[in-house]
Amino acid sequence: MPNPIAATFRPYWQYRDLVRNLVIKDLKVRYQGAVLGFFWSLGNPLALILLYDFVFTHVFRSDLPNYILYLVVGVLHYNLFSQAVSQSCESLTSASGLIQKIYFPRILVPTSSLLFTLVLWVVAILILVVLYPFLGGIYHWGLLLYPLILGLYVAFIWGIALAFSVLQVEFRDLKHLVDIALMFGFWSAPIVYDINVLKPPFLEIISMNPLTQFMDLFHALLYAGTLPALNHVLIASAWTLGAVSVGMVLFRRKARHLVEDL
Amino acid sequence: MPPAIIVEHVSKEFILRHNRAMGLKTRFLSVFHKNKREKREHFLALDDVSFTLEKGEALGLLGHNGSGKSTLLQIIAGILQPSKGRVITNGRVAPLIQLGVGFNPELTGYENIFLNASLYGFLNKEIKRRVKSIIEFSELEHFIDAPLKNYSSGMQMRLGFSVAVNLQPDILLADEILAVGDQAFQDKCLNKIAEMRRNGMSLILVSHSQEQVNMFCDAFLLLDHGQVVHRTK
Repeated sequence: MPNPIAATFRPYWQYRDLVRNLVIKDLKVRYQGAVLGFFWSLGNPLALILLYDFVFTHVFRSDLPNYILYLVVGVLHYNLFSQAVSQSCESLTSASGLIQKIYFPRILVPTSSLLFTLVLWVVAILILVVLYPFLGGIYHWGLLLYPLILGLYVAFIWGIALAFSVLQVEFRDLKHLVDIALMFGFWSAPIVYDINVLKPPFLEIISMNPLTQFMDLFHALLYAGTLPALNHVLIASAWTLGAVSVGMVLFRRKARHLVEDL
Repeated sequence: MPPAIIVEHVSKEFILRHNRAMGLKTRFLSVFHKNKREKREHFLALDDVSFTLEKGEALGLLGHNGSGKSTLLQIIAGILQPSKGRVITNGRVAPLIQLGVGFNPELTGYENIFLNASLYGFLNKEIKRRVKSIIEFSELEHFIDAPLKNYSSGMQMRLGFSVAVNLQPDILLADEILAVGDQAFQDKCLNKIAEMRRNGMSLILVSHSQEQVNMFCDAFLLLDHGQVVHRTK
């Protein structure tokens, strides 16, 4: 096959079952000995929805119609980001035992860590699929776009995960800083609130956040039942392209001498 | 036939960072405390090493602790990058620097075979074809579905060794390890290595022991402070 793109990816493709085996290992180890096993990953989002439903219908009231759906869509998608990014920091440092003893493409370590988070998250989102019509969700053809938007979002997260995984090796405080930053991140995107209630300059500041763009896409598709605005899709794509480029360049530069710093 | 391994003028320099600041706290302290500041020292672990290993040959790497032989092995395995020079390998390289890399104590022996072998770049369907002979060689048929944490350390090493030798590498890079387990199993390991050698496998063996090297290798390099000080042949 004289195709240069295929030639670039062949060494990684050869290791595809390594990624699969690493993800399966993480899943097995996580639910080791738990009677309900995999079903536990449904528990968290279910509790979340029930709790929000109680709090926001009996304690606080919001002006947004179907506010629970708005909230759940935002929170679940933010959880994917925060779990994946937080875990990516330790993906390389905790795999030092493998990296120091054998050669394989290092990029597969943060990638399989992200896939593990993604698998658990997809199971969790099944709860939303079941409860979607009850929370006021609308079925429309635009939902067919959802996998594409989710793919864009996952690629964006992947770029950040690559960067943080190599930076953590040199700067071990990163994980703690990231965990705190993620708490701020939650409030710096329209998850709990509607972006239109903000006044300048906050509106502009919050709009600069790439997560805001992605939240707008998810809210449009899953909450408002409309197609996302084209300019939001383009801005989100630009962020994804930026994150993936920075992540890959940083990773390639640092990965060569990774072993010596672990 | 191209050689199995060509090592061309390979040098490796490590930067030893004493008191390296890995976190914010140490970085901050180093501003005030002179003796907590990072000191860098350049350390030449390998100095212009060259050799060629033909297909089917076995080479011993001898030397004291810190002479650079394990570093050389890691460079040939692709784990470390050389600072200068280059290494060319032809064929499938199996580093045996540690037995059972990636073994997870919570998984069963059977599951660990797949995890370990896929680190060597094998696909699950290729491993499936070999899994019977791996288990047979390890003599762990009765324990293979038990979690690895219930294995003795000897059993774990037997399993790790069985995976490595049943992957049919073209080049085996061994760091002191050529045989594991009790006397009977060690003999079996040595016979297996000899059989693989007859079938054309190349071998590099890092060792402290001249005897071990004489037993397995056609030639040897003696390293001292990163330089080749003696070579046979």
